[in-house]
Amino acid sequence: MGTLGRIGTIIGYEWRRALAKKKILALVILAIAFQTLVTVGIYEAYRFIGTTFLGSENVFVWILVVLEGLLFVQLIAIIVAGGSMSEEYEHGTADVLLSKPITRVEYILGKFLGGFSLLAMVEALITFVGVALSLVFFGAQSGLQFAPLMFLAIVYSSLIFFCLSFMFSEVFRGTTLAMLLALAILFASYIISPIIAFVYGISTRAIPIWAATSFPSLVMSELVTASSVLPAADLGALSQAALIIALYTIAFVLIAVYRLLKSDVAKKTA
Amino acid sequence: MACLASHPVLNVSNLTKYYGNFKALDSVSFTIDEGCVYGYLGPNGAGKTTTIRIMLGLLKPSQGEVQIAGANPSKDPVHALRSVGYASELPVLQPFFTAEQLLDLMGRMFGLPSQTRKEKAKSLLDLVGLKEWAKKKIGSYSKGMVQRLSVAVALINDPIILIMDEPTIGMDPEATAHFRSLFTSLSKEGKTIFISSHLLDEVQRICTHIGMINKGKIVFSGPIGQVLDAFTQRWVVEAELEKVTENIVSSLKELESVNDVRVEENKLIIELKEKKDVRGEISSEIFKQQGVLLSLNLHKVTLEDVYFQALKGGQ
Repeated sequence: MGTLGRIGTIIGYEWRRALAKKKILALVILAIAFQTLVTVGIYEAYRFIGTTFLGSENVFVWILVVLEGLLFVQLIAIIVAGGSMSEEYEHGTADVLLSKPITRVEYILGKFLGGFSLLAMVEALITFVGVALSLVFFGAQSGLQFAPLMFLAIVYSSLIFFCLSFMFSEVFRGTTLAMLLALAILFASYIISPIIAFVYGISTRAIPIWAATSFPSLVMSELVTASSVLPAADLGALSQAALIIALYTIAFVLIAVYRLLKSDVAKKTA
Repeated sequence: MACLASHPVLNVSNLTKYYGNFKALDSVSFTIDEGCVYGYLGPNGAGKTTTIRIMLGLLKPSQGEVQIAGANPSKDPVHALRSVGYASELPVLQPFFTAEQLLDLMGRMFGLPSQTRKEKAKSLLDLVGLKEWAKKKIGSYSKGMVQRLSVAVALINDPIILIMDEPTIGMDPEATAHFRSLFTSLSKEGKTIFISSHLLDEVQRICTHIGMINKGKIVFSGPIGQVLDAFTQRWVVEAELEKVTENIVSSLKELESVNDVRVEENKLIIELKEKKDVRGEISSEIFKQQGVLLSLNLHKVTLEDVYFQALKGGQ
């Protein structure tokens, strides 16, 4: 069996491991329930008032409904990645896998790709449900040809918190700590990024561009917003956001790989 | 029982491991030939598990290296570990899998084709007595059952060398006997077995070679026959007393026929200089020192006697 076969085996393993965790399924159900609730809310408002803040046409409701799932997507990313490496050390199951003919790079790549592909499936489901709900409640929608692009943008933007949580999971080898740190950064960036963006706006670019774009949530909203209104978006900002996400991803993954390659596989830690 | 060929399968050379400032292994070296059954003995914390974990590439040695079938598991785990089966001490297996699913995953990791994996899983579960539990989640297994499954996992790739860390710990006596005979038959099939165990009787019965480790250093490594031959010329008197006193020990040590005296709770292990029944002499000495003798036996030196003597610093 070659490298790809070994990575594929770990991807399959990671899917089963992640799906066995009830909290991931619970979050997916919660995300869909939330989407449904918001769609019904918008629909009821439209029925009674005759208009919504989206206008009387309601042809772009699908974008709003899909974007509502974004916070849940980040939470699911953090939970999937946060336990990916560390739970194996905590439970002692890393021994079972790493005492087999597989290199550590293959193992961590399999873990990463397995977790991320699962997350992408969840995101596909959330996008699909969002579009379907909009169609059911509001009829024909405009710009649906951008739905796959929107999905890809969400998948790509979720790399940041997935990789951040994945890195913490390997570096600290503790699931709770990895998830708490990633969650703290997620919520802090949601709070701080509008402030930075505001300062950036009034300071006539006195603040370097990276300060306004490097915070993950800002990067995400920029990317998602840009993708949802294409082709009118600022392609310069989009490519910059994409580059920043790529840099974060590479840095976080490299740190995790370095940690795994350079350290011992400890016996059961929890 | 003898090794099948003088062809090294496992070579551990000059292995040293530090945990911070603590030296867990100190220049550990030994070689195991194909078909040998190597018993690795030592008290808790001696360095047995550290040695095994380095052999599996789970820990990185501070110095020295391991070669399994010519490959270094730290640098080339794919080649080194494909011919290795490993059963860990008190194993933890993925609780969300059934036994069948876990064996299938492990078979995949060794690149076995689908049909082979199915057949292997079935026969191994039968072998370890878990046939009825094949479709149940591992999370519902007892410790002993997980231990049995761990042995099945170790055998999935039909390994050349089996590495087992306390494989029968947590098993009931019936299962222990079953696995002891399994290991014996595997060694007869020509498998090389490395077994870390506290059960000296078990080791004496099935091993061709032994290695003794204490405080990270190898005290002895070689054919078990060599150890026992060297010592079985010696005889031991085991005396059980109501209470062991310092006077009794020192007076026995002064006897001309006595080589050494070891105290184990209320028992005296008196090693003789030559095979001679000196029980009368010993009992009268004990009575003279006002000791109350409960039993007195004369027997050949066992591996257990050798083990304790080796750990004391002698060889």
